[in-house]
Amino acid sequence: MRALWTNIDYVASVILFLIGLYAIMVKGNLIKKLMGLNIMETAVFAFVMSAGIVTDGDAPIMGAGAKPPFANPLPQGLILTGIVVALSTSALALSLIIRIYRQYGTIESDDLWGVE
Amino acid sequence: MRRALTLALLILASVPLLYAVSLLPPVGSEDNPTYTYVVPHYLEEGPEETGCENIVTAVILNYRGFDTGGEVTVIFTALMAVFGVLLIPRPAEKVRQPESAVPVSPVTLFIVRTLAPFIVVFSVYQIINGHSTPGGGFQGGTIIGALLIAASLVMGSERTQRLLPEGVRRWLQPAAVLMFAVVGVTGMLLFGEYLSYPIEGEYLFLRVPFLTLVEIGIGVGGAAIVASIFWAMEGSDG
Amino acid sequence: MGGGQWPVVLIITPLIGAALTPILARRRPQIAGYWALFVFSIVTLAAGVLMYRVSTQGPFSYYMGGWRPPLGIELRFDEFSASIGVICLIGWLSLMFSLAYAKHALPERRIPYYFALVLLCLGGMNGFAVTGDIFNLFVFLEILSLSGYALVAITGERIAELAAFKYLVMGAISSLSILLAVGFMYALTGTLNMTDLAMRLRDVEPFPVAVAVGALTLGFSVKAALLPLHIWLPDAHSIAPSPVSAILSGLVVKIGVLGMLRMYQILYKAQIFDLSALNTTLMWLGAISIVLGALFAMVQEDIKMMLAYSTISNIGYIFMGLGLASKYGIIGASVHIFNHALIKATLFLGAGALIHQTGYRNLEDLRGVGKAMPITSAAIAIGAISIVGIPPTAGFLCKWYIALGAIEAGRLFFAVTLLFGALFIFVYYIRMLNAFYFMPPAHPEILDVGEAPVTMLIPIVVLAMLCLLMGIFGRIPLSFIEPAVTNMLAPIGG
Repeated sequence: MRALWTNIDYVASVILFLIGLYAIMVKGNLIKKLMGLNIMETAVFAFVMSAGIVTDGDAPIMGAGAKPPFANPLPQGLILTGIVVALSTSALALSLIIRIYRQYGTIESDDLWGVE
Repeated sequence: MRRALTLALLILASVPLLYAVSLLPPVGSEDNPTYTYVVPHYLEEGPEETGCENIVTAVILNYRGFDTGGEVTVIFTALMAVFGVLLIPRPAEKVRQPESAVPVSPVTLFIVRTLAPFIVVFSVYQIINGHSTPGGGFQGGTIIGALLIAASLVMGSERTQRLLPEGVRRWLQPAAVLMFAVVGVTGMLLFGEYLSYPIEGEYLFLRVPFLTLVEIGIGVGGAAIVASIFWAMEGSDG
Repeated sequence: MGGGQWPVVLIITPLIGAALTPILARRRPQIAGYWALFVFSIVTLAAGVLMYRVSTQGPFSYYMGGWRPPLGIELRFDEFSASIGVICLIGWLSLMFSLAYAKHALPERRIPYYFALVLLCLGGMNGFAVTGDIFNLFVFLEILSLSGYALVAITGERIAELAAFKYLVMGAISSLSILLAVGFMYALTGTLNMTDLAMRLRDVEPFPVAVAVGALTLGFSVKAALLPLHIWLPDAHSIAPSPVSAILSGLVVKIGVLGMLRMYQILYKAQIFDLSALNTTLMWLGAISIVLGALFAMVQEDIKMMLAYSTISNIGYIFMGLGLASKYGIIGASVHIFNHALIKATLFLGAGALIHQTGYRNLEDLRGVGKAMPITSAAIAIGAISIVGIPPTAGFLCKWYIALGAIEAGRLFFAVTLLFGALFIFVYYIRMLNAFYFMPPAHPEILDVGEAPVTMLIPIVVLAMLCLLMGIFGRIPLSFIEPAVTNMLAPIGG
């Protein structure tokens, strides 16, 4: 239990991850599914960022007046990439939703699986 | 029923996940393997080896520059994907909504117009100064992209698109991918490996210009792509 | 370095080529195809040189930016990276097939984007196959997945967008669970390089690693469409343009398997915990996939739908071979990755040619097409015989090896499942061939259609001949894979 408390950041990301998954599995509206996906993405990013937290860490920018400890720069770089990937996925998903809406006039998955 | 079942399944899945995270090295400690293994090298040698005072930039553009090259390819892929999915067959038959049915409030118009130059200056600063201060190509690029979107909302897309005519846009969209390739191949020819930057020697002066070039490429490409995706979705041609 | 820059040519050329496609093809969309084919020829050349180097000099690495791992990103060329050979082969032939196909099947405006996306997808796969860094693996996975989702929807026909959306949601969940696993591994070890990871995973808590392995397995099995995570595949693979189906079914699902192989490489080296639970699960899921995939395929009317379910069944073979965890099982699985790619590309391109010429997709409507399009039908027949696993074709050897692997592991039950699976597969391909050759045509006008244009015919014929040749010269990939598998199973320091 103690360990769960120290790693509360990880716990939060795991819970967010599952909330996102729940939204994708249960919600019928395609936009809501996409929002679930975005929650999952955020959760994973938060997870990786938590791995790089350093208590009282300063921004890793060297130069006059910089003093350790510095935050871990690697996860920040990785997550920048991750965010761009998430943006790209959302852009494509929204385009597909636009096309689906133009074609069928609905984005509720219950109505959509009927048209197949 | 379906909800309850899903919920039960996810709660079941949460047990091993939560147990696993409780066994991970404690968050925030300086003794974590994430902080003791590779990172000390980045922090100690980074400014010397890469010429970036901002170590995050050193990591994303130099040590792990190839990842960033992949990342700009991902966003370019997204653009191609959006075009491939959305563009309607006949370009002649343009379905244009009448210029914003609801008149734009003069307040928003004024705000966007007044702020625009400051936003541009700020983003340019971010782009070209990213190696030594917070920020970088992507951040700056998306700011410009957002400005273009805001301008499209208040002045209409057609007028905004005149700022970036189609011929120019086509060249700017792949700017990030191409700039990476140019700098990467130059690095390869001069210093041995793809995306190599000089560490010492007579070409050392090229290092910061190269980094800035890549940042500019990312910024311009990012801005063009973000705006084009918006235009394609809105139906007024990427 | 001199001749040592081929890895860069392999990875960067398709990306630059794709970036330039929309610019070059702005005025005349049709030249996009020739440009893409030209670009990919260079890539194929690079892949050839690199594979030759691996086979003569053994595995080697390329350090991006000159930074040695774990500082920077490493590209690792080993025997499993030889999959770039099959990626390039099938990619090149599918591109050639696309030249004529895209002209009819796609709105003209989308043609440049189609070719750009195909190049990006193939480039992403090459990158995935050779990278030695788990985060870089994720980046390339996203390049190839995103372009894959878009390519499914690009025709805009029938339910294309719906199929693509389903594919996107499942694919994105799987990518995220892979990224979560990467996060776990990184939090535990502080490194992202695969070789380094295998070393450093030895002295960490085993339980979080087990969860990470679970997440990776989940992610890669969605990408590979292992039952019960296959639900996105049939629609997506049958609705996509045929050359894309060939790429998706032949290559993209194998990316999931390749990811599994990479994971096993790390885990066998790290020796962190007993893998038997995972192996048993994979074996059973594989067996279920074989049988159910084949059963579903049997009841399909749409020829491409049938081929899509057949892919699920064949993925089952590969996972069963992996799960057996015996030398012959893994060898059989690895060779089946190559052979199934060849066979499925033959079948999908063949089916694409049939649909292109006749306009029909259902077996019932395609009756009698064997007389109208003899060459294409013969190629499909070769593919069908091959996939069933009748000697001397390509499919026989790997199924034989997987069966040997099952016997070697003392799992006779699975050897029997494998034979039954082959029997089911036999039934539905016989049904198809029967319709092509021996049934009276449902539409008499079908007898008047001719063969497809020559740029479509050549890839089909080449692939069909390769199916035959790989059966006879199947020892070549085997000799390539065998040392890699032996090496992988041997514990380090032993």
